[in-house]
Amino acid sequence: MNLVNLNLTEAVELVKRGELLAEELVLAYIKHIESLDKQIKAYLTYNFDRALERAREIDQKPAKGKLAGAIIAIKDNIITKGLRTTCASRLLENFIPPYDATVVERLETEDAIIIGKTNLDEFAMGSSTENSAFFPTRNPWDLERVPGGSSGGSAAAVAALEAMAALGSDTGGSVRQPAAFCGVVGLKPTYGRVSRYGLVAFASSLDQIGPLTRTVKDSALLTRVISGFDRRDATSSSEPVPDYVANLDAKLESKKIGVLKESKLKGINKEVAANYFASVEKLKELGFEIKEMSFPSWEYALPCYYVIAPSEASSNLARYDGVRYGLRVEANSLAEMYLKTRTVGFGSEVKRRILLGTFALSSGYYEAYYAKASRARQVITQEFKTAFEKVDFIITPTTPGPAFKLGEIQDPISMYLQDYFTVSASLAGVPAISIPSGFSSDRLPLGLQVIGRPFLEDKLLNFVFLLEKKLEFKNNISETIKYQRKEEE
Amino acid sequence: MKIDLEHICRLANMELTEEEKLPISMQMEKIVEWVGQLARLETGTEERYSPVDFSLRMEEDQVQPSLPQEEVLAMAPEKEGDFIKVPKVLTGK
Repeated sequence: MNLVNLNLTEAVELVKRGELLAEELVLAYIKHIESLDKQIKAYLTYNFDRALERAREIDQKPAKGKLAGAIIAIKDNIITKGLRTTCASRLLENFIPPYDATVVERLETEDAIIIGKTNLDEFAMGSSTENSAFFPTRNPWDLERVPGGSSGGSAAAVAALEAMAALGSDTGGSVRQPAAFCGVVGLKPTYGRVSRYGLVAFASSLDQIGPLTRTVKDSALLTRVISGFDRRDATSSSEPVPDYVANLDAKLESKKIGVLKESKLKGINKEVAANYFASVEKLKELGFEIKEMSFPSWEYALPCYYVIAPSEASSNLARYDGVRYGLRVEANSLAEMYLKTRTVGFGSEVKRRILLGTFALSSGYYEAYYAKASRARQVITQEFKTAFEKVDFIITPTTPGPAFKLGEIQDPISMYLQDYFTVSASLAGVPAISIPSGFSSDRLPLGLQVIGRPFLEDKLLNFVFLLEKKLEFKNNISETIKYQRKEEE
Repeated sequence: MKIDLEHICRLANMELTEEEKLPISMQMEKIVEWVGQLARLETGTEERYSPVDFSLRMEEDQVQPSLPQEEVLAMAPEKEGDFIKVPKVLTGK
């Protein structure tokens, strides 16, 4: 058997029992990545030598951690000590961080192995990974299509079995949307659940790190390790972290599910809508009580997000000025150096968002744009609170359509519409997960988003674990990868 | 809606390249109009800046290790001795 077929939970069990060496796993992944990543292009930087070294260290240990031998890919906006971290930007092309993000530290403490850094839309701004300053990543199900974004490299790596699991970051859907496009599980935890120390900031009131995995159980395992209080992140929560894995088989206490009104699904892809209604029907058959939710402000979440996120980005990205690290374009004066460095260093989408945010915060427009969006955010947050008084979970499609072709969406607003179902949960800070829910007629994966109450990831994972079993969507590996794996054997 | 893009670029300390100028100025007008639909949403006066209503956590005033100076300096594009070097701040213009 090719070892890359083992999922996270299976591989870790074998390594912990001493039936498999972490080194064997690393070697299998290196071989698989070397043969396949030329086509997929999920990674920006490989960490093979260090991974092998780590594996040998772990194999020597008598007592092994919770993630012993786990082969993990890290989105390249999460910093790794001594390992290049670029944010897929020219500005940080040669940036080698002097410390590790808290999540990386926690993974390594539990004996996980970082196999490489994955591609993304520059500074996590985009929905297709085409905004990477280096190259686009391909969708393993159809190489002509995008893997989604901005965590496209992480999702593609997991779907192509180039990693057991990966970390991504989600500001408005950047874990969930690529998870749906690539047929994997993607969780955005509650805001504050996972420390963001060492995550390169995009929009600080929205950013959250989350895992991309092949199964719900793998997601539970990884989420438990990366969650919890961190004094280095002022927004990190001290809510206790339950054992998400042990809780997966718990009996569901309540069976009330909120669904979106049909009017909220206007204009989305017909197959996606049909797939969503089929999931709702299956839930009814399983004895769940379905309630239609009104969410009057649902449509306003997108414009609200596209004021707030760029505003915060314009402030956060002010730090890239060529002084202390990253790209510097030489100039005769300090002011000119700032200007030239930023002009050359940022790609067009990043510039669009910085300009949009600068505009929304500028004198004369602040009230109509930024202040108005902050009031809209309060309305949206309240609607979730009201909804969760009536239901335990809210389900929606993850995306308005299946993966699109590279270059197919050129207009920025059309690209922003990709986030139609995902931004609401980000604005409200509640946890949301995308799980595979079937296929389009072209055999492209589709995703179901489940949104839960704040800090109840245990209940959320418990529910989707049941869905995963009952709906039988998992472990459908694309033809490309099957072919590739045959070659290797 | 007409946007003074040159002014916004100045505020953001950034320029657009020749190829970016026309498409971005056209797109920006459309995007600003599109987000402008927010005006139609009825809202109260309460504003929300973060998903959590947290109060700042106070910490003991303890000395903690910081990054070694040489590692931080190693990232700088240009340095002189123990300092990060930048071009002239005042150019006499």
